[in-house]
Amino acid sequence: MLVSKKALAVLGSAALMASMTVGSGIAFAQDGPLRGNIRVVIGSTSTGGDTYQNSSIVADALSEKLNLNMKVDAVGASSAFRTLDRDSRGNTLMIFHDQSYLGHLYGVEGYDDIFEKYTIGPTVAINPGNAYLVPKDSPYQTLDDIIAAVGAGETVRVAIQPGGVSEIGFSALKNAISIEHPGQEDNLVAVNTGSQSDKNQQLFDDQADVINGTVQANEQYTRLPEDDQKAMRFVWLTARQDTIEQAPEEGLGQTTRQQLLAYVEPNVNVTMGGDESFTFDKEFFFLYNKDMDPAIVEQIDEALAEIYAEGEIQETQKNAFFIPNFKPSDEASEYLQDKMTRYEGIIENIK
Amino acid sequence: MESGLSSLLSISIDFGTSHLFFPMIIHWVLALLFLAVLVTKTIPFLAAVKRGERTLPIIGESMDGFRFFGTLALMVAYFYLMAFVGNIFPYTGYGFLFVSMVFVLLMALMYMHEWTKKAVTTAVITAIVAPSVAWFVLAKLFKITLP
Amino acid sequence: MEFLSLLDLTFFLLAALGALVGIVFGAIPGMTATMAVAVCLPLTYALGLNHGLALLLGLYVGGISGGMVPAILINIPGTPSSITTTFDGYPMAQKGEGEKALRVSVIASVVGGLISAAVLFFFAPMLADFSIKFSYVEKFLIILLALSVIASLSSNMLVGIFSGVIGIWLSLVGVYSTSDGGNGKTRLMFDFMEPYLFEGFSLLPVLIGIFGISTILLEAEKGVKNELSGERVKLGKGGSGFSMSIFKGRLTNLVRSSFIGTFVGMLPGVGGSAASVLAYTQEKNLSKDSSEMGKGAPQGLIASESANNALTGGALIPLLSLGIPGDSTTAVLIGAFTLQGIQVGPLFIPENVDTWYVMMTALIFANIVMFFLMFYAIKHIAKVVMVPKHLLFPIIVMMCVVGAYAINYGIMFDVWTLLIFGVLGYVIQKVGLEVAPLIIGFILGSQAEVYFVKSLESAGTFSIFFTKSPIAVVLWILIIASVVFSILMGLKRRKVSREEASQ
Repeated sequence: MLVSKKALAVLGSAALMASMTVGSGIAFAQDGPLRGNIRVVIGSTSTGGDTYQNSSIVADALSEKLNLNMKVDAVGASSAFRTLDRDSRGNTLMIFHDQSYLGHLYGVEGYDDIFEKYTIGPTVAINPGNAYLVPKDSPYQTLDDIIAAVGAGETVRVAIQPGGVSEIGFSALKNAISIEHPGQEDNLVAVNTGSQSDKNQQLFDDQADVINGTVQANEQYTRLPEDDQKAMRFVWLTARQDTIEQAPEEGLGQTTRQQLLAYVEPNVNVTMGGDESFTFDKEFFFLYNKDMDPAIVEQIDEALAEIYAEGEIQETQKNAFFIPNFKPSDEASEYLQDKMTRYEGIIENIK
Repeated sequence: MESGLSSLLSISIDFGTSHLFFPMIIHWVLALLFLAVLVTKTIPFLAAVKRGERTLPIIGESMDGFRFFGTLALMVAYFYLMAFVGNIFPYTGYGFLFVSMVFVLLMALMYMHEWTKKAVTTAVITAIVAPSVAWFVLAKLFKITLP
Repeated sequence: MEFLSLLDLTFFLLAALGALVGIVFGAIPGMTATMAVAVCLPLTYALGLNHGLALLLGLYVGGISGGMVPAILINIPGTPSSITTTFDGYPMAQKGEGEKALRVSVIASVVGGLISAAVLFFFAPMLADFSIKFSYVEKFLIILLALSVIASLSSNMLVGIFSGVIGIWLSLVGVYSTSDGGNGKTRLMFDFMEPYLFEGFSLLPVLIGIFGISTILLEAEKGVKNELSGERVKLGKGGSGFSMSIFKGRLTNLVRSSFIGTFVGMLPGVGGSAASVLAYTQEKNLSKDSSEMGKGAPQGLIASESANNALTGGALIPLLSLGIPGDSTTAVLIGAFTLQGIQVGPLFIPENVDTWYVMMTALIFANIVMFFLMFYAIKHIAKVVMVPKHLLFPIIVMMCVVGAYAINYGIMFDVWTLLIFGVLGYVIQKVGLEVAPLIIGFILGSQAEVYFVKSLESAGTFSIFFTKSPIAVVLWILIIASVVFSILMGLKRRKVSREEASQ
């Protein structure tokens, strides 16, 4: 060994000093219970998708309001839940949508009962785009045509992604058929497939008669000429009427709000029994670790209430075709639990 | 005849168990290939080992045990401590920054054959500079989450 | 030419900056073009649409081509699609021809990039209509064709295929994901592994583990000697042995591989790495003399790199004419459009003509910038191998860790995957299994499963693979040709080595 111990010691302490200087740079200046750097994990792995987009709008606003570093990480559902499980300090928050409990209802592995395992935070926005489409030259003009056809014994194939948001409309439709035409509901067949491109492909290949899609991704297809193999037509938007009514008047692309309203209840009616009809809004909300300090829940609720009162975030959300929808934690938790119970009934019914 | 063929080819996959369909095929293929490899390669090889013509891999070879197992041990410690320290300073990347400095230094010293003053000094400087640059550019500039 | 007014100096500077940052990201093992685009996405909101697109397309082109650098110099594919670049690039670097290998690759990259941009510009809507003729069945056959490279790539066919099937098996571990239309159930693992392995092993950590970490383990075992052999001296002396004559007689290869890359990039869901693998297979099968491929032949680099860069234009075709991303990077680009309130879909090009021209300008310009940046920086980049190993190795490990951790936005298990596959890669090479076929099996395995099972689910018969469409028949002919050819090659090789032995 050719180096003196002293030289090593000097260098070592220099390294330590250097790192101390860096260390002192942490911003501990915040007054609220939330401290340090905050990571918002989301249930999607896509940084181009609606969950990421919506989460970064909210995280940016919060980070500015609370003067904290916030970073949205698209780690996917299973990893997001696990990361959240491990951190009760409040440095990890999660934003996800209805998939979080629908996955559990459909018995998909990796989804637990979120109402039991986590604290439900505030809702922030709705993506009103969940839609069902048929080829433009389809014999089915409306959803009623489809219900009647299935009721009369015709097989109708619906391309969906199994186990969640994409399937719930299908389940509701099946449930409605079992109410209106008992015993015929098995003629409505699910074609289990993956991404939006896979679903579209099923339609082009004539492997499906109806597909689940979104207003955002499929609107341009509805404007293609009928002789184009790719042309489609909306038959149903699952959103509530008053959700779509809050959308910008010019709608999306060349399809106005007025035109979109033709595809929601009460113009399209999917019964849930009695006079209740089925609607589904894809809502984004926060999820927290169960043991997280309740003061943080309150702090975020208050900060968001102020942000929504200022009104700027609503403009940003609407520009991205989201419907602003702020409900503080308590209200959100109760509301979502109620929502889940209703869908649970549907899924039980058609089992 | 034709119907016999088409019924032979027809298949219905139950969605509930469809996750096992392809793995099952792969298992069979794997088992058959393994047998073939065993018969044509492994058995002749083992026979050669017995005759003393060849040596067993890993166990029968000479190796620099200190550096090999040292590398493994360092990496395990590195990965473990990075997450551990990182958890003390959540989402700042300090776990990565500090533990990397120690790791780079130790690994460099371990791989160094002659500890000259110059070599050790460069190793120390590298150990401080490289992680700092990586940390600053990625965690600070691009806001990538690091442990 | 109204769109010209939208172009200004900032536009070109941003495209160039994007290409530069992209190259750096691509060159770090584990950092990909996708990540480069994702981290810069928030910036584009402030930049506005045209400037934002310039930056992102620069990042995309730079990120894809930067992957060649570590592939050639340290045998770690910087991005999954540069996997086939390691097959010939690293042997060349070991022979002291690293600089030459890099130059060949850069030229191949820029040609691939420009050809695919031209195809995108002239044929996008038409090709989009063609691409939707590829259903699950045809996509499965494409994957099968790419897998057939295993047979010709391995030095012993039986062992190679065995290794490839092990790779496929490893790719199936974890959940049969609902996002692929699966049933969301896990397989090939025990319950206690579920917290870590739910989503299986991710591709990039596996790649850099099996290539990077295992190389370091193999070196550590030998004691990490700093042999200062002739290679480094040669490198210092300017003469890299590169001249344009390398491309003589390789034009067919270059053009064919560029078209393969564009075409595979165009098929949503088939994925980038299949492109370079397919191009490599075809070169191996069709070229007059492919016996040197895998041992350091420039033709392998040409095939791999031109295909891999041609992906960029290819993957933009379905994005801009169907609204469907062709690969993971273009999936992030969708975010950039929605941030600006622009819809992508079949009507994107007719409704946003100016944006379309702006994108084409940025794409072509980024390719040219990438070329000049890389071509003239190569001399310095290639010096990486002159860094003493005791400093280089710890830094490689550190960067691998960053890449693995960051690839899925911060998952610690991905870092452990590095180590698991580093050790596995070490053991595999020790017991005589073959790494390249295994990794190709791993890359393509999960797609093969989805397309295979989904084809059968919808058709209910195995015969669908033969009767689906004329495209399927053509693909079968290619597959059979590829397999027959590699068997013939294998026999010829055996004969040659026997003759050599008897002499």
